[in-house]
Amino acid sequence: MGADPVAAVTGDRPIGVAIVDDHPVVVEGVRAWLATEPRLTVLATGDDPDAVLRAAPNADVVLLDLRLHGRMALDKLAELSATGRRVVVYSEHTDPATMLAALDAGAVAFLAKHEGREHCVATVLAAASDRPYVPPALAGAMVGDPRPDRPTLSDKEREALLLWFQSMSKASVARRMQISEHTVKQYVDRARIKYTRAGRPAATKAALLARAIEDGLVRPEEIGIYRSQATHDRPTP
Amino acid sequence: MSADLGAPAHPIRGLEVPERTSGSAPPEPTSSAGLAAPAAVAHASDRGARIVAVAIALAWHVAIGLPAVLAARAEFAVPAVVLGGWALVAVVGAVAGVRLLRGSPLPPWPLAGVLLAVDVAVFVAVGERQLFTAANWVWGTLGWFFVLALWGRRVVGLIALLTTHAVIALVAVLGHGPDPADVARYVMYVYGTFSLPVAVFVGSAVIVSLARERAAVSAAGHGLAAERDAAEHALRERRDRLALASSAAGRVLGELAAGQVDPGDPEVQRRCMLAAARLRRLIAESDDVPDPLLHELRAAADLAERNGLPIDLVTIGTPPPLPVEIRRRLADPLNGILADARGWARLTVVSGPNEVVVSLVTPDREGPEATGPPPGEHDDGQVEHLYERDGSIRWAQTQWRR
Repeated sequence: MGADPVAAVTGDRPIGVAIVDDHPVVVEGVRAWLATEPRLTVLATGDDPDAVLRAAPNADVVLLDLRLHGRMALDKLAELSATGRRVVVYSEHTDPATMLAALDAGAVAFLAKHEGREHCVATVLAAASDRPYVPPALAGAMVGDPRPDRPTLSDKEREALLLWFQSMSKASVARRMQISEHTVKQYVDRARIKYTRAGRPAATKAALLARAIEDGLVRPEEIGIYRSQATHDRPTP
Repeated sequence: MSADLGAPAHPIRGLEVPERTSGSAPPEPTSSAGLAAPAAVAHASDRGARIVAVAIALAWHVAIGLPAVLAARAEFAVPAVVLGGWALVAVVGAVAGVRLLRGSPLPPWPLAGVLLAVDVAVFVAVGERQLFTAANWVWGTLGWFFVLALWGRRVVGLIALLTTHAVIALVAVLGHGPDPADVARYVMYVYGTFSLPVAVFVGSAVIVSLARERAAVSAAGHGLAAERDAAEHALRERRDRLALASSAAGRVLGELAAGQVDPGDPEVQRRCMLAAARLRRLIAESDDVPDPLLHELRAAADLAERNGLPIDLVTIGTPPPLPVEIRRRLADPLNGILADARGWARLTVVSGPNEVVVSLVTPDREGPEATGPPPGEHDDGQVEHLYERDGSIRWAQTQWRR
């Protein structure tokens, strides 16, 4: 549906993915999805984040089910993000508050479980290169964010998020807004980058921000609080 | 005085029309005066009678009693007592009258005691020659003050006071030496002093109770009229809704029943779906739920799903309370496209305090526009419609802004 989110892959080495989920059938399903993309390889799976990461210390991306054994793993998510682990949260809990809380805790991306293979692969590929990927459900959560301290989005960014949430087709959004698909993606990604200032600081947020600046997606002053040490905090893949 | 005015509740408040969310206020009573409490009417009527009683007592005391007392003041046995009694009753009577008119009468029995004491003193002090003249003012006047003292109480008390008054007079008459002529005059006087105050006292009580009854009857009549108004209002609402439902489904059902159309025809099936969607939404509209708009959209989504269309309904935020008209304009334009949809549909609602955006996306199909609004944008007041198809999707959006 959307354009290929990743222009360049990190080196020749395939991207290592760790899957943490307490439902074996989901693990197998996600593994099958990711297997359709040759640049991705699943290194370890399991229902305990610590055990999985001990088994695969070099995983580039962690796919984390937010609800493990009946409780929300937001604190675990924050802990992993703080150490620079690129965590893609995927969950059947798609209420906007949960999604925004996951972003605040440092998740690189939030994927709703119903959003399917394409979004899953695209999100993991983007996360591996510290680039944002905003699936439609997350776009909806951002555009409807009721919190008083939410980031200030421009009209175009809001419109792009709303239409992307509604239609799930960047091509249709582009036709509707009479801009290119690339520009639609830019608006959406810029909105996402503005969210790196929400919640507690995390190494993953700094990495997203640094890459966005490097890519020319945003200027530091647009974000408001840019810490220059962010580039040094970037985890090495 | 008006403390009990609001006591009986307006009967209309209990008759809320069923359409709570339509924004229409319950019918107002046609005449608020007609719904005044019977007690208030009785109160007003009683006040008139009190004014009359106070006026009679004081006017009699001043206009008839005073000139006679002054003219004969030299001929009393003890003039000071007669004059002093007159003045005391004038003051006490005036205070009692004012208090009665203000609704806080003086305590009746102490007041009656004072009056009877004056009665005895005057009969003793007036002397034999003035016993049956107008100068013996207690004969005629005191009965009216008894009326003031016992206002609103049972007539037995008044009769007891008047009887005591008659006994005092009888003792005075007999004390001056029994004379048959005096006894005859005495009987006439007693009759005169009894009949008028008792007549006024009883008459006013009867008038008040009649007024209370009339007011109650009238209030009941107004209550009935208000009930009828409310019932008519509810009936009108129901008729309006029936008309809406008939326009939604009546025609296609009629044609199916008459065999004029073929149920296998996809166009007829589409019309049936559309009609069902409208009916479903109309039913959902009258449900009492916290989020009526979402409830109505969910009803439409349920129906589409039951007809085999996988549909996603995603909501962000909580819509503010919206009048039924706005909700209809937000939801109705999407029904046509939903009835046409094949494959899948995505229905989204994004709400903020000042804005609600509803969007429906379905795959674009071959073929001409079967239904739905004309492509393009239009704006009907507060709700903006947008519809387009771009070859891959059909996209309808309705947007409300405060």
